[in-house]
Amino acid sequence: MATVRLVWRDGREATVTATDETLLEAAEHADFSLPFGCRTGACATCTGRLLDGDSTHVRQPRALKQRHRDDGYVLLCIARAKNDSAVEVGVDVHNDLLENPRKGH
Amino acid sequence: MSEQEHTEMEHQHEHTGPGYMTPQAAIERSEPETLAYVVGTHVGTDVDEPDFVAVVDLDPESSNYGEITDRIDLPNRGDELHHFGWNACSSSCHVGGLERRYLIVPGNRSSRIHIVDAQDREHPELVDVIEPETVNELDLSAPHTVHCIGGGTVIISMLGDADGDLPGGFLELDEDLNVNGRWDHQGEIDFNYDFWYQPRHNAMVSSEWAAPKTYQPGFDLDDVEAGNYGHELQFWNWEERTVEQTVDLGEEGLIPLEVRFLHTPEHAHGFVDAALSSNIFRFWKRDGEWHAEKVIDFESRDHEDWDMPVPALPTDILLSMDDRYLFGSNWLHGEVWMYDVSDPANPQYADSISIGGYFGDRQEVQGRELVAGPQMLQLSLDGERLYWTTSLYSSWDDQFFPEEAERGSVMLKADVNPRKGTMTLDEEFLVDFGDLPDGPARAHEIRWPDGDCTSDIWE
Repeated sequence: MATVRLVWRDGREATVTATDETLLEAAEHADFSLPFGCRTGACATCTGRLLDGDSTHVRQPRALKQRHRDDGYVLLCIARAKNDSAVEVGVDVHNDLLENPRKGH
Repeated sequence: MSEQEHTEMEHQHEHTGPGYMTPQAAIERSEPETLAYVVGTHVGTDVDEPDFVAVVDLDPESSNYGEITDRIDLPNRGDELHHFGWNACSSSCHVGGLERRYLIVPGNRSSRIHIVDAQDREHPELVDVIEPETVNELDLSAPHTVHCIGGGTVIISMLGDADGDLPGGFLELDEDLNVNGRWDHQGEIDFNYDFWYQPRHNAMVSSEWAAPKTYQPGFDLDDVEAGNYGHELQFWNWEERTVEQTVDLGEEGLIPLEVRFLHTPEHAHGFVDAALSSNIFRFWKRDGEWHAEKVIDFESRDHEDWDMPVPALPTDILLSMDDRYLFGSNWLHGEVWMYDVSDPANPQYADSISIGGYFGDRQEVQGRELVAGPQMLQLSLDGERLYWTTSLYSSWDDQFFPEEAERGSVMLKADVNPRKGTMTLDEEFLVDFGDLPDGPARAHEIRWPDGDCTSDIWE
């Protein structure tokens, strides 16, 4: 069992307990609403970013590129906490991955 | 009896079912549209609510003109409603007892399929939901285009396998709109997107976007280089459900999206928009072989904020019911255009409206700022009113027009003069999906209750 701190960019925070469920399910069981789409790791709508601790994907996170995974992004619909951790959540996190490819930075 | 005489004999039938006997009958006998169904989405925004189907009042005489008068709220969040269709269209006009009554409304992200009873046109109701697990059991996901295929059965193009990977395929619903199985023989294709069929030629054409895992997170140039986006058309033997021929459109045909056969059922001729390459191709069958060639191209334009020239990105096209005009939307450039395609091999520019997008001459209507370009189109059956919305797909919107998540989309309209080949923006008409009780929503595909230029097919 792990304690997971959910951190939104607007300053909200919540703490949930995750057993052998995904981080998305753990949040839902505690009545916190997070974005999601496919629930199979194919669409990235539920993208979060690990701030602290470790997690593991229970199946291949297809919608994340390796560079995203290296940067700590996780798909909450298929990620399980390995230990106590903190995760940045909310639609803005997915938007980090969406740069306009021709516009530069 | 010649083959042509035989074909004509086969298609002489009584009109007892839904729709119209011929495209010309649709033009002459239809009443002007008084309402539209428009899908609205909250996925990819801060609004933590389900997507919905809006009923929009299009009757200029109504006090609610241009307003959302009702909406079908869905039971789940995260669906990303996208394209949708009817249980029956003019392809069943000879099938007595069948009605154009049920809307099949898939969620492209969730793979959940909603069945809406629209018998009461102004107040449709959700009556059934096919859950993602049922779809995934057939190793399919990400439903896209819905076409009824005659007799009340429906097929839906599916863009991925159960894991959001390739290949896609087709899902078939039976007359009761329950899952009947796969329509295709699994493995016939890799990519999938839109499709259209032309029964008198025993033909279907399907186009190619990408695997859900590729397009859903957003657009990435690396995926283009890696060959993760489609550039082919598949031509099917409609009865055998097999791919008869693949036509590679090459580098100028990257991401072929909307495919439209001419409405006239005699013609084995159509158009497709290659969105990423910003070209329009025509395709046709001659001597048993399918061919395709580029007939319109749109030049990229330089923009001071962009490192690279901005492509037009023509994301939707449609043909007027009389097959005379091809309309389209250049989402990034911000242009709605019409070409005269009386001679399909030689489209002639007729008119365009420059509005929204990165380059639009007008960036607001009725004081409402336009934060994205024109996208999904729908045309009245008589060809005199063109409507459009401005959202493409939530993650692509967020990338190219991020303000749309905060401001929502709009639905706009132009009056079309088919005799002169001109369009005029109707400044009286604006549906603001940004100004809704739950917060801003994006608007996508538009459908009329009694037939439209992108769903009716004739046998």
